[in-house]
Amino acid sequence: MHTTTVRSPRAFGPTRKSFIRRNLPYFLIAPSVVMLLALIAYPLLFALRSSFYFWNLQIGPEPLQFVGFENYVQAFNAFDFRAALTNTLILSMLGTTLEFTFGLAIALILLKALPGMNVVRALLILPTTIAPIVVGFLFRYLYDPGGGLLSWLLQSLWLPVPAEGILGSPSTALAAILLVDIWQWTPFFAIVLYASLLAVPDEILEAARLDRASAWTILMRIKLPLIKRTAIIIVMLRFMQIFNTFDTVLVLTRGGPGTSTRTLGYSLYEQGLVNFNIGLVSAMTWITVLIVNVIVALYVFFAFRNEEW
Amino acid sequence: MSRRHTSFNTALTYAAGLLFLAIFVGPILWFIALAIRPAETAFTMPPQLTFEPNLDAFRHILVDPGTNARQLVNSLIVAIGAVLLNLPFSVPAAYALSRFKLRGKKNIMLWYLGLLMAPPVAFLIPYFILITRIGLQGSYFSMILVLQTLTIPFSVWLMKSFIDEVPVELEEAARVDGARWYTIMLRITLPIVRPGIIVTSMFAFVFAWNNAAFPLVLSSRSTATLPIGTLGYFATSGVTWNYIAAAAVLAMIPPMIIFLVFDRYVVRGLTFGSVKG
Repeated sequence: MHTTTVRSPRAFGPTRKSFIRRNLPYFLIAPSVVMLLALIAYPLLFALRSSFYFWNLQIGPEPLQFVGFENYVQAFNAFDFRAALTNTLILSMLGTTLEFTFGLAIALILLKALPGMNVVRALLILPTTIAPIVVGFLFRYLYDPGGGLLSWLLQSLWLPVPAEGILGSPSTALAAILLVDIWQWTPFFAIVLYASLLAVPDEILEAARLDRASAWTILMRIKLPLIKRTAIIIVMLRFMQIFNTFDTVLVLTRGGPGTSTRTLGYSLYEQGLVNFNIGLVSAMTWITVLIVNVIVALYVFFAFRNEEW
Repeated sequence: MSRRHTSFNTALTYAAGLLFLAIFVGPILWFIALAIRPAETAFTMPPQLTFEPNLDAFRHILVDPGTNARQLVNSLIVAIGAVLLNLPFSVPAAYALSRFKLRGKKNIMLWYLGLLMAPPVAFLIPYFILITRIGLQGSYFSMILVLQTLTIPFSVWLMKSFIDEVPVELEEAARVDGARWYTIMLRITLPIVRPGIIVTSMFAFVFAWNNAAFPLVLSSRSTATLPIGTLGYFATSGVTWNYIAAAAVLAMIPPMIIFLVFDRYVVRGLTFGSVKG
């Protein structure tokens, strides 16, 4: 709103006032942007420079030799890095899809507002509150081949459990990691989708029911389109979180057996903080950052094309 | 639709509710039980549901030798520090994004969002080397500083959604009375939006509290946080499950309480305010 009649008596001269006033929002945003740039730019530039050197902290404190793109070539040719890329894509695609589907199903059941169901809803969020490292320990206990609850349950149901344990067998380990992620994050989808579905106006749903639309049609044609923006944002956030997972893997399997549960996040951890192979890990970092950016950019471009802010 | 059909549906819904609790809360209770059960019953087959609870594991981790008591304090220092450093940066930015028309607002908001997607492990090595070179390794400040990459973008989004709800008319009235923008922000808007600041702080606290990646690299033995403490039991002297569980329960409880207390803000917090809950 612009008032021409009222002027603050304490106002400075026109030039000074207009400069500050015109740029005020930028002055308020700047500190956070500068802080974040300082924290983000350094690692990225550092990694960019290091990625062109042979540099291993176990051999020497400084970069040893300029090697050009050798680290990138090595990263791409490394069998375990490609395995990590595949595993990460499998985990993040399957994880996001399954968590969204299960979460939506739970949300629709919670919407049948029966007495007592709000307690269920409130408690359901608990897995999401726990630190990933702790969730890792929780599931190591459940998966333990020598008496873990989950292993025992499977055996009691006459389901085959690998002799090496669920986490010890290459055929089940990745699925076991996926299950952990689904357990922790399905409630997140359930609660968020539940809350946004609550906001769908009843009149629209009534009208659709009068037109004898089936529950499935109402869900696909009315409810989901109305909560699209929420869905877009949570799917994106979750996808990237799984993409960067490393702490659960660290606790549960350390990427093994073999390369069966290696993720990009874990590879970065291992090359950087276990092997101290700074040159190689820097190249991997940049490969990861580029992949992440391409995925996010494509997603944002298509998902937010018609959104108003 | 017949009455019997509806009551059948009701029963089915309750059954589903119980199933969800069994799946999503059951494992947590089972893990908490591990912390208070006699060590020798941890892996009995079939699982032993009844046992004589004791607090030996908690005594071990908190009192004698009490390694985790120190880590509990460290976790608190780091998480509270992260919140305190975060607010002066994120609140003004959120205020500006909520209250002013500005060019490229959508891009700025997406830029913050994008930072939340950066792989934290990718940044660990550069931070590790930088912090070591400037001699801050093992300090609380290094962890608190680096955590801002998570807490600032998150808080800006969440705070903006709270400030959006304060009626502009209140500020207009003050402006007509000749108040400056900072008086308006500090004396009118922020007091009204105090619940939002509290909720934002609590969520930032949980983020910092649950983070293990940064302390894993930046902490020293004396500044290690609780999640690092649980990892410690794993690395040394065989796996002592009761101690792990006790330390883990300690790490689990504050976020759980915060989420249950701020139940009505949970959705908004989890989606950084992008979805009004």
